[in-house]
Amino acid sequence: MRATACVVALLGLARGGARAQQIAIGPQAVLASYREVVSGLRYAGIGFGGTMSLRFHKLSAEAAVTRVKLDTADGSAAAQGFTATQVDAWVAYDVAPYASVEAGVIRRTADPELDAQSVGAVRIGARSFYEIGPGAMVTFRANYLAAPKFSGGGRAPFSLDLGLGLDVRLAGRLHGTAAYAFQRINRKTDPSGTGEIDVPIQETVARLGLSLAF
Amino acid sequence: MIGGPRVRSIILLAGLVTPVALRAQAVQNATLRRAQQAYDNLEYRQVLTLAQAALRERLTGPERARAYELLGFTFGAMDSILKAVDAFKQVVLIDPERQLDPNRVSPKAYSAFDVALRQVLLVRQLRVDSTSFVGGQGAVPIRFTVTQPARVVTRAVGSDGSFLIDSSAWNGQVNLRWPARLANGDPVPAGSYTVVVDARLGQNAFSASQPVRLSHGLVDTLSHLTSLPGYQYLPETEVPPQSWRPLGLAFLYTGGAIVGTLGLESSSLGSGSKRELAVVGGAALITGFVMTLRKPAPRPAEANILYNRLLRDQIARRNQEITKENIARRQQVQLTIVPLPKPAAGGVR
Repeated sequence: MRATACVVALLGLARGGARAQQIAIGPQAVLASYREVVSGLRYAGIGFGGTMSLRFHKLSAEAAVTRVKLDTADGSAAAQGFTATQVDAWVAYDVAPYASVEAGVIRRTADPELDAQSVGAVRIGARSFYEIGPGAMVTFRANYLAAPKFSGGGRAPFSLDLGLGLDVRLAGRLHGTAAYAFQRINRKTDPSGTGEIDVPIQETVARLGLSLAF
Repeated sequence: MIGGPRVRSIILLAGLVTPVALRAQAVQNATLRRAQQAYDNLEYRQVLTLAQAALRERLTGPERARAYELLGFTFGAMDSILKAVDAFKQVVLIDPERQLDPNRVSPKAYSAFDVALRQVLLVRQLRVDSTSFVGGQGAVPIRFTVTQPARVVTRAVGSDGSFLIDSSAWNGQVNLRWPARLANGDPVPAGSYTVVVDARLGQNAFSASQPVRLSHGLVDTLSHLTSLPGYQYLPETEVPPQSWRPLGLAFLYTGGAIVGTLGLESSSLGSGSKRELAVVGGAALITGFVMTLRKPAPRPAEANILYNRLLRDQIARRNQEITKENIARRQQVQLTIVPLPKPAAGGVR
């Protein structure tokens, strides 16, 4: 009930604002691939999600929630799949007509909990965006994932997240959205105390959907 | 061919007598009428006798002026220039505005009339032009002619008092400007005034007057500007020419994602699935291609925006000035001066 009230209030704010203020919200279908530790441990699946973005002059914010049922891919050594729920959030500030700096968080949890690593990290990066036509915007994003935390412990000195985005106004307030994200986390653990071993994580996600902009 | 001294004499005489004949219609005095007829018949001796007899009778002002005029013309025709001058002096003293047309009277008569004018102190042809001006920013033009060097005092006399316009020594054509202001700068009160010109030379004095009506009104205020003449607002957006730029940018962004993905893939995890990248990258490229074919979106034209801003600033600045000017104008008075018909001519005092 409270969430609904918040959404209604935000929509009202956007309607009353100028063109520099915009809120977009919509559902998305999700394709995802996930690999962990070794090449044989790989998953793929589809799911759903939603995204919401706000813009107020040079300040913008974006959040995406996805839930994907990842099944073992062909030739995978994994015995069973799992369900990954991921929350991404960004706050960005435009530093140029085509670029902004951004910061945010990522949180991915696995269900069952022990079938894959749950990850939480801080995002720091930049984004470039360009209007390639009337109502059509492409974006490219590069984020460094700082201070990652894993459910299975360990550390990741180098983690990156790349993204490609597309937003096309289809008709009136209706937009079509597409987003691609590639995530590489160089996780290292020392389970037996004999020295660190590499247990990398790699995920690609494609989100396709519609949104209503106000 | 018109020829012969007789014909030419008739034409000359016809021209000479025409001004007198034109005025003969209003003559009531019988003796003066006979003098006029004698003049028309070129019987100059009889003209002199009859005109002088008429002058001893009871005549109106115009009849008396006409009698002297007949004497002037006749003495002129008889080469008695001094007597002609004396007769014309009497004419202009009775009717100071009297004028002779040099194209219709004999040169002798005209020169005698001119000499007579310069021997009598007169103020002639007093004219006050119709005008309208903002109090303190204009003046009423007053023109007159003084026939001899004299001390001339010009005043405006109204029900609220007498206002000195000028006091100077003048001779000939005089042009004065009356600002119609009081000593404190306020405009003189509205009403009827008489512009009086007094000329004095020794014991001789002459006065002429012209009634005028002076009215007060509101000063017109200026309307605010919505545009500057010759300057127009320019469109603040412009449509760039169609190009391959959208597809190029889509390639650039998608290429960045492809290169980043391939470069960051972990060797130990092997080559991952590219279907997610293919889906989104393909959508971006298709969108870029479609946008390349479409008319480009209008973009802000910075130069035009700056130009329009300057234009708006100029108009706003001018409107501020207009507002200030209107405030001042609302405190001002528009003076309108209209000359009224003269009740009577001036005269010797």
